[in-house]
Amino acid sequence: MSYTMTEKILARVAGVPAVRAGDEILARPDFVIAYDFPGYTDVFFKEAKEEFGVDKVPSPERFVLFIDHMVPAAAPKEEELHKITRAWGKEQGVPVHEREGIGHQVSAELGYATPGAFAVHFDGHVSQLGAFGTLAMGARKSVLETFVSERMALVVPGTVKIEVTGTVQPGVMARDIFHHLVRVMGPSSCRFKVVELCGPVIDAMSIEGRQTICGQAMFLGATTMLIAPDAKTREYAKGRAKIALDPVYPDADAHYDRVVTVDVSDLAPIVVAPPSPANTRDLTEYAGLEVHMGYLGSCASGRLEDLRVAAQVLKGRKIKPGFQLHVVPTSQAIMSQAASEGLISTLVDAGAFISSSSCDYCYGRIATMTDGQRAVSTGTLNTPGRMGSADSEIFICNAAVVAASALEGCITDPRPYLSNTEGSAA
Amino acid sequence: MTLPTLHGRAAWIFTEDDYDIDLIVGIKNIKITDINELAAVTMTSYDPDFAQSVNKGDLLIGGQNFGYGHPHYPAMRAMRHLGVAGVIAESFSPGFFRGEISMGFPLITCPGIRATTQRWDTLQVDWERGVVVNQRTGQTLPFEPWSSTERATIEAGGFTPYLKARLARERAAAA
Repeated sequence: MSYTMTEKILARVAGVPAVRAGDEILARPDFVIAYDFPGYTDVFFKEAKEEFGVDKVPSPERFVLFIDHMVPAAAPKEEELHKITRAWGKEQGVPVHEREGIGHQVSAELGYATPGAFAVHFDGHVSQLGAFGTLAMGARKSVLETFVSERMALVVPGTVKIEVTGTVQPGVMARDIFHHLVRVMGPSSCRFKVVELCGPVIDAMSIEGRQTICGQAMFLGATTMLIAPDAKTREYAKGRAKIALDPVYPDADAHYDRVVTVDVSDLAPIVVAPPSPANTRDLTEYAGLEVHMGYLGSCASGRLEDLRVAAQVLKGRKIKPGFQLHVVPTSQAIMSQAASEGLISTLVDAGAFISSSSCDYCYGRIATMTDGQRAVSTGTLNTPGRMGSADSEIFICNAAVVAASALEGCITDPRPYLSNTEGSAA
Repeated sequence: MTLPTLHGRAAWIFTEDDYDIDLIVGIKNIKITDINELAAVTMTSYDPDFAQSVNKGDLLIGGQNFGYGHPHYPAMRAMRHLGVAGVIAESFSPGFFRGEISMGFPLITCPGIRATTQRWDTLQVDWERGVVVNQRTGQTLPFEPWSSTERATIEAGGFTPYLKARLARERAAAA
């Protein structure tokens, strides 16, 4: 009998010899991950106690909470929410990581991205733990189940295998590759499926690039995405992994609902134009379009390779006067490393505004745009109004495009700025 | 427990694929928590008279991958407040689907519904036959069945009551 990674991981956590796509199971998540947000964690805390009479979460060692939205607080009620979260963590014996970075990244740094583990969150971007061979699902309200019971009900998803092949051209980053997959396969092509991502391009890709791609799984319609562990993953997990598990690999003749091969040899940097992540376009279609703001950060991008490529573009140059460039490293660990590499001073000297890690730039809570403004962004989403006024626009792109566009004040192909370097930017 | 009666008019047809439901209230309004305030901004950019023209029990029609984007709750919360009883779409984005089913809000996946429905047609979901009936045309279209958990969640009126009932049953069985 042959199984996908998802079937193997879910069979273990369901405590049964085998499961198949379509089976309805009760699974015990290895990790329950959440950030505090009104209507989510505060409701889970309250309902667990008041509706279910559960005063202590079962197996609190599985839980971890992050304070990464509304950081720093800008209103008393925001700080009140954080206060509730801290108090709950203390009462329950659950760690609350605050101001350490965006939880989806920090959970990897802390070892919750154990290869072979099953993790749940209410937010789907947790799928990025799939970069480490962790099956990590955004389960929405079903996460409440884990607050009152060891196990949660779910249907075993089918799997779509995507093999990425070819030669990645200079200036093309993981971000471009993901949005290219959306373009060629379609934004609903993997609905309710798990994507198993593989192929020589993924093998050669950095851990960070893999996090970028896996974290966006929802925009292919997927429930989550994961990559079989390799030497890089094992190295990263060594000394970090929270629990001892054998890594899980797919069987050679596992059943896939679809197998798709995408060659990226001809891919050039893209932009994702408004109004949604379904709208991947060639950058050349929009080159020269005036932009007023740049955002380099988020759980999708904002890691070292993004900061390095931005620094490479901006080194010894100045951004266009009046342009607002916000650089927000995805975690404080990344910020610290970037500082020791000299990247922060390069970016500051070029005119970038650097912030400690926070989710808040991604959804316009701060650095809010007004009518008629336009941003280049490595954030997650480009729905009109996401970063401010409904009459502002967001073009999603890779970090090098953000940096090059900051220099010229318009959407700019970064490759001329990178031409002195060899091979792939990242 | 039984499934809710879904028998109402198509109050709006979202013809777009990959529709982001935040646009129903406008992204700038998704942080509004007061339900009356939220209802007041619902659909205003599509039809300023929407709130006045919708009746209790009316339905929404959607295209492929309805709910694409980030599946925030305010839009459907506002729709429920206005009386909307459910959404019938070609297909749904998974995050949106899971989130709204957990609110006890029926989402019916029914390929063909968009092209065959006109605004204000009366539709009926026939749970027994597994079809959506258009009363203007007489046409029936099969819809995709829910998983047993999804069905039980809708029957219970939401994820919290569903889970309470299930855990009570499990405890009783173990006793």
